[in-house]
Amino acid sequence: MIDVRGLVKHYRASDGGIVRAVNGVSFQVGGGEMVGLLGANGAGKTTTLRMLATLLRPTAGTAAIAGCDVRDDPVGVRRRLGYVSATTGVPDRLSPREILASFGRLHGLHPAHLPGRVDRLLTELDLAGCADRPAGRLSSGQRQRVSLGRALIHDPPALILDEPTNALDVVGSRDLLVLLARLRAEGRAILLSTHRLHEIEARCDRFVIVHGGSVVATGTREALIGEWIPGHEGELEDAFFAAIGRPAAGGVVP
Amino acid sequence: MSGTTLSAPLTAAFAIARRDLLEFVRDRRTLVVTLLLPMATYPILALATALGLRTATHEIEAHTAPATVQLGLSGPEAATLAGLLARMLEATPPDERSGWPADVALADVTEAEAGQLLDDGAIDLWIHARPGLVAELQANGTVRVPVQVSARRPAGANVRDQFLAVMRSLGRQAARARVSRAGLPATLLDPVEVDFEGDGDGGPPPPTQNVVSTLAGGVLVLLTVLTLTGAFYPAIDAIAGEKERGTIETLLIAPCRLGDVVFGKFLGVLAITLATLVANVASITATAAVAVRSLPQGIVATLPEGALALATVATVIAFAGMAALAAATCLAVTTASKSGKEAQNTLTPVILLVSAVAGTAMLPRAHGGPLLAAVPFAGQIIVARSALGTATESPATVAEVVATLAISLASSLTITWLLLRLTTHALADEDMLFRGPDVASGAFHRPERRARPNTVQAFLPLAAGFAGLWYAQGIVPADLVKAIPIQQVVAVLAPLAAMVWWQRVDPRETFALRRPAGTVAAGAAVFGGALIGAGMFFVGAAMLLAVRGGGISAEARQLSARLVALIQEQPLWLAWLLIAVVPAVCEELLFRGWVLAGLRGRPKAGSIPWTAIGVQAAAFALFHLLPERMPQTFALGLALGLLVVVTRSILPAIVCHLAHNSMPLVILGFAGDIPRLASMVEAGDTASAPLPGWLVAVAAAAVVAGIGLVAASLPRARPPTRSLTATPSRT
Repeated sequence: MIDVRGLVKHYRASDGGIVRAVNGVSFQVGGGEMVGLLGANGAGKTTTLRMLATLLRPTAGTAAIAGCDVRDDPVGVRRRLGYVSATTGVPDRLSPREILASFGRLHGLHPAHLPGRVDRLLTELDLAGCADRPAGRLSSGQRQRVSLGRALIHDPPALILDEPTNALDVVGSRDLLVLLARLRAEGRAILLSTHRLHEIEARCDRFVIVHGGSVVATGTREALIGEWIPGHEGELEDAFFAAIGRPAAGGVVP
Repeated sequence: MSGTTLSAPLTAAFAIARRDLLEFVRDRRTLVVTLLLPMATYPILALATALGLRTATHEIEAHTAPATVQLGLSGPEAATLAGLLARMLEATPPDERSGWPADVALADVTEAEAGQLLDDGAIDLWIHARPGLVAELQANGTVRVPVQVSARRPAGANVRDQFLAVMRSLGRQAARARVSRAGLPATLLDPVEVDFEGDGDGGPPPPTQNVVSTLAGGVLVLLTVLTLTGAFYPAIDAIAGEKERGTIETLLIAPCRLGDVVFGKFLGVLAITLATLVANVASITATAAVAVRSLPQGIVATLPEGALALATVATVIAFAGMAALAAATCLAVTTASKSGKEAQNTLTPVILLVSAVAGTAMLPRAHGGPLLAAVPFAGQIIVARSALGTATESPATVAEVVATLAISLASSLTITWLLLRLTTHALADEDMLFRGPDVASGAFHRPERRARPNTVQAFLPLAAGFAGLWYAQGIVPADLVKAIPIQQVVAVLAPLAAMVWWQRVDPRETFALRRPAGTVAAGAAVFGGALIGAGMFFVGAAMLLAVRGGGISAEARQLSARLVALIQEQPLWLAWLLIAVVPAVCEELLFRGWVLAGLRGRPKAGSIPWTAIGVQAAAFALFHLLPERMPQTFALGLALGLLVVVTRSILPAIVCHLAHNSMPLVILGFAGDIPRLASMVEAGDTASAPLPGWLVAVAAAAVVAGIGLVAASLPRARPPTRSLTATPSRT
């Protein structure tokens, strides 16, 4: 469903030099699969996800969402993709219902079907109780769920979330991840990036670890631990640190 | 999971506009500032204006109204003079009493008390009728009548004028008596009699009517500013606000083109701007209806029947175009900003600048042609003023109004479309979208050392130069010996030096400071450049004469006269230095050095950067300010730009420019026996006779020979240009 092959993104720095933000990243996410994109700050996660969301144009390589190439058919990609990031806000003065309805209109949903679709989503996202309250008066968790609802209004087969739990507390994070698991169960391909490895360790099917703009490791939790930790015992975090060449707390790089 | 169908462009745009409007309506504070504040502005303005006009009108009326003049007469012939005056006052028919006071009250006073009476304001004027005064009046001489005027009486100078009219009538009566005594006809004193015919009153409007006309123009400028204010907040919120709230990404991943997103944003801002405009027009109309009642009668010109309706419709349509223009301008300006505060800082000076442009519509000759209607933010005011007849003596005809309105509307919509394209382009810029103000204002950063400036920086010394020229006007002495070096330093060298230091460019690469390859080839290129420059002077002058004839502006004639005076009064070497050497070196460094290098970017072997050459030539032409010289200067700029590009050296261009500017000295110094040439330079081309044909032919041949020499000097295969940095320097 999400197919990334040799994706490259270079941009020019203000001093005239070239910054290689993403340098040949490849991975795939199938339908009904949730994949975690892991990496330190500046590893190239957000740039990769923005290229998949057609917000940035790749310098080289290809990427496709449900068969639509991000470079050749960006509108097709947007019709098949829901995108949420931690920095994605919601308009403070509009209610969740108005926000979802406005994006439904933007996606060309039929006016007759729109209210029903919005109501269903509000119920699914546990927002029915605050559906008509201005978004500025909602909690961070509720706002993030509104954001997710906005990304789901057109019922996309693929979902990309860039650090979606960053602004959430423990409860909010858990609720969101439970919701994502449900969406995966519906057959959607879900790609999410996060710093909070422990939160997604047990929830993602596979992980892609990027460092310095390149993929340094990929596989299931068990495969990564088996590949990167001597003795094959430990946490995903240990495997992550080993893969990016940094010692974990109290440990050494193998 | 089913994908939705692609939104129709207008559906997406309307969805975005609807969402933005909903947000705007919920923002009560902005709503009040944008829509309700103007409603309060006009009544306050009108109240202040009406009070001011009333006061002014009363003062004028008090000043001009006929008063009763108290005239004190003393002296031995006071009674005789009083009798003479009383008879004249009684006998003069009303139609001959123009400028007279309402009445003249005669009082018999003594010489001793007259001063005190004047000081007390008991009398306005005092005449001491000396012995023989009446007899002198009846003789044939001129009688001097000293009149003392009171400083206390409120009528002041007006009394003096009115009494002067009375005394002129007295003098006229005496003159008639003298003519009659001499046996001459009375018509001797009235050689001309004028009869006005037709319906027009022919008189200029009263001063207060001009005030109202100016006020109407002022209100239109205010309406322009408030229309811009209407677009100000929604435009800031539309893109910069979305960036600040982190919601812009959600729109950019909507299944529609970026242009549709921008159009949707534009529709939202336009709707609010139009609402502001409607609120303003409603407030103006209501206020005007009240204000007109409170103004003194007769000072507001009455428009012919139907003209008011036409003027209103034309104004509303023209200003609707302006609303679109304002919305697009504010959107375009704020697109690069990453936050509302940054957008506000960027937009505020633009609003001030646009307001200044709008103010130009109030200039006396701003109604001079339909093309002025195309000027953004001023054209709409010109249309409205022309329809209302406040710019001219009478309202324009329907055809004239429709023509100017069509031009204004076409201009507004074209510029709006261009601005929306620009906004779309800016929004698609990944740097501006995700890296914000640092990148957007990258032109102002001090970068690492590099080969040449970028495109934006290419214009910075020009902007600084124009500003320098403007501000230097006040301090530059009239003497050209001092003025030329000061102007070149202020407008060219200082901005260039600052930019070279600030932007750390390589002077050798930027200014092409190298000799053309090979001694012989270098000589050919330089000599060829000199021939081109000298030849282009005469060819350009011949074309100027052919096109414009004697129609040269006063400014050009004045400049020409000053240059001729400089050549004739100063030593030849000094005149040559000032007129040819200094401008050639300085202007080449600026235009063919900095500007061209910045615009063309990294040189590509075998390709001619025509756009860069054309733009720098246009800037070079504008820099010379005089419109009639611009085509000639533009052509010279093209030639000089090409010279630098093909020879990769600034030297032939400097010599070409030098030769061009040296020609007036050659003509005045060595070719004074060619009368047409000398007069051309001395008289500043006031004569319309063409240049001698042989001279134009020789000049054209020189240009061709120069091109041939330069072409021959070029190497067959050129190595690629070296760059100081490994990365492309056009950043």
